[in-house]
Amino acid sequence: MRFSSRSKLLATALVLLFALPFGLLVLLAVAPAWRFPAALPPTYSLGALRDLLAADSELLAGLGRSLLLASVVAVVATASGFWLARAVSRAARPARWEALSYLPYALPPVLLAVLIQPFIIRLHLSGSVGGVLLGLLLIAVPFATLLLRSFWTPQAREYEQLARTLGCTPQQALGRVLLPLAGPLLRTALFQTFLLSWFDFGLTNLLSVGKVRTLTVQVFTYVGEANAPLAAVASLLLLLPPALLLWANKNALLRKTE
Amino acid sequence: MLSKRLPTRLLLGLYALLVAGLPLAGLGYALLGSLGIVGPLATGFTARHWQVLGTDAGLLKAALFSLWIAGVSLALAVGLALALVLGAQATLRRRPFPTLLYVPLLMPSLVLGFYLFQLLSRAGWLSRLSFGLRLTRGVEGFPELVQDAAGAGIILAHVLLLFPFLTLLFQAIYQESRLPDYAQLAQTLGASLGQFRWRVALPVLLRRAAPTVLLSFIATLGAYDIPLLLGRPYPQMLSVYIATRLQRFDLRELPAAYLAGFLVAVGLLALILVLTRLTRRHAL
Repeated sequence: MRFSSRSKLLATALVLLFALPFGLLVLLAVAPAWRFPAALPPTYSLGALRDLLAADSELLAGLGRSLLLASVVAVVATASGFWLARAVSRAARPARWEALSYLPYALPPVLLAVLIQPFIIRLHLSGSVGGVLLGLLLIAVPFATLLLRSFWTPQAREYEQLARTLGCTPQQALGRVLLPLAGPLLRTALFQTFLLSWFDFGLTNLLSVGKVRTLTVQVFTYVGEANAPLAAVASLLLLLPPALLLWANKNALLRKTE
Repeated sequence: MLSKRLPTRLLLGLYALLVAGLPLAGLGYALLGSLGIVGPLATGFTARHWQVLGTDAGLLKAALFSLWIAGVSLALAVGLALALVLGAQATLRRRPFPTLLYVPLLMPSLVLGFYLFQLLSRAGWLSRLSFGLRLTRGVEGFPELVQDAAGAGIILAHVLLLFPFLTLLFQAIYQESRLPDYAQLAQTLGASLGQFRWRVALPVLLRRAAPTVLLSFIATLGAYDIPLLLGRPYPQMLSVYIATRLQRFDLRELPAAYLAGFLVAVGLLALILVLTRLTRRHAL
């Protein structure tokens, strides 16, 4: 009985701790004028949400921009990571290439952006989507490579060679053997690299010099303007794709933990 | 043979150029920039910006403040995660915990900063509840929890970010290391549950988690989004300090920003080398 009640107490505490942010953000999104000392909004309005659906909505544009950027980063990083991981496994000194892959994580993203910014400028990519993309790939590609490195075991290579021996072309071996085997890891790599890009603010903010207004940049802008409703709406939009991705991968996650 | 190796070498070469070449070239450029050799207003070699370090304590304060934030945040998060894993092991295996602990991972640090500001500021939600319950008399009666001198808001934010992740990590290690079996064995041999936790479980969990905990420490040390929203203009955390100097409109500040970036990068790389060796030595 005591154990059960403690378990319920812990569950309740964590649920409240994790649910409160979402609740407060929702209230902020529909509260046009909510000031001290009101504990609940005096009035409710869908104005901020209505603005979201306007034809010229900057928020929708930011959402689209962020989705496009994160999707491109995820696909390019995962595809590159798959082949790079294979190349690393075949290299003379795999351990050194793995150590090299950790270099971008030795430095904060903002500091990385500071260091590479002169070259972004010289490549005429400053303030462009291309510059932000290059910066994000600098973080995402090593991540995918390290993650997919665990797939390229001697066993995987034996499967590939077996398929080739039995008459498969390289394309068939890839499409029918390797990709299905690597499926779960590829999905995880897509998921994680998408989130890396989706959540980024510091690197994007620095390299875009205010011109590539992703959703995170817009959250910061609205916070700076003390526009809490729009900041809350942008924040909730920011939470939507990760929530969908988590839900879509729920079974995979639960299987791992169980 | 040649046709097979060529794409591999080309691929790895491009990879090295992106991952190591670009940041290290940036590091070199920052060094040259701090010496006045390159940059928009470069006028030739000068040690002036390095000499200013002796009198301008801003960078040192930022480094110390960042170490304080990262150290306290990580200590609290690790402690909380270990308490959950070792103290509520059976509970963690039951619903809804396997799913529940993933929920905070959805929260971007920028959104968390915004939320905590709305929650904990002097005019925030907790302050209003406190006023409604007559615990405080007004805005000035509520303690300063965000944008405070000690960085309490920043620390709380990072603890909230880190402890669910670390709990999941420790829980995975707990299962993979077969610690439940060791618990049974230890108790069969006469050890108490407390002895098992301190002498068996804790060392195993910390040693196996050490690399990830190290990365978490470095990530917190270089945090930008949260201290930008919940921190004061002074002292700043390292990333905020560097970014602020770089984004000033005065181009004459660029060499100082390059110097700060160079020193922080070298300092972090050195710190990682030291900590990595320590964890390896301890693991052996």
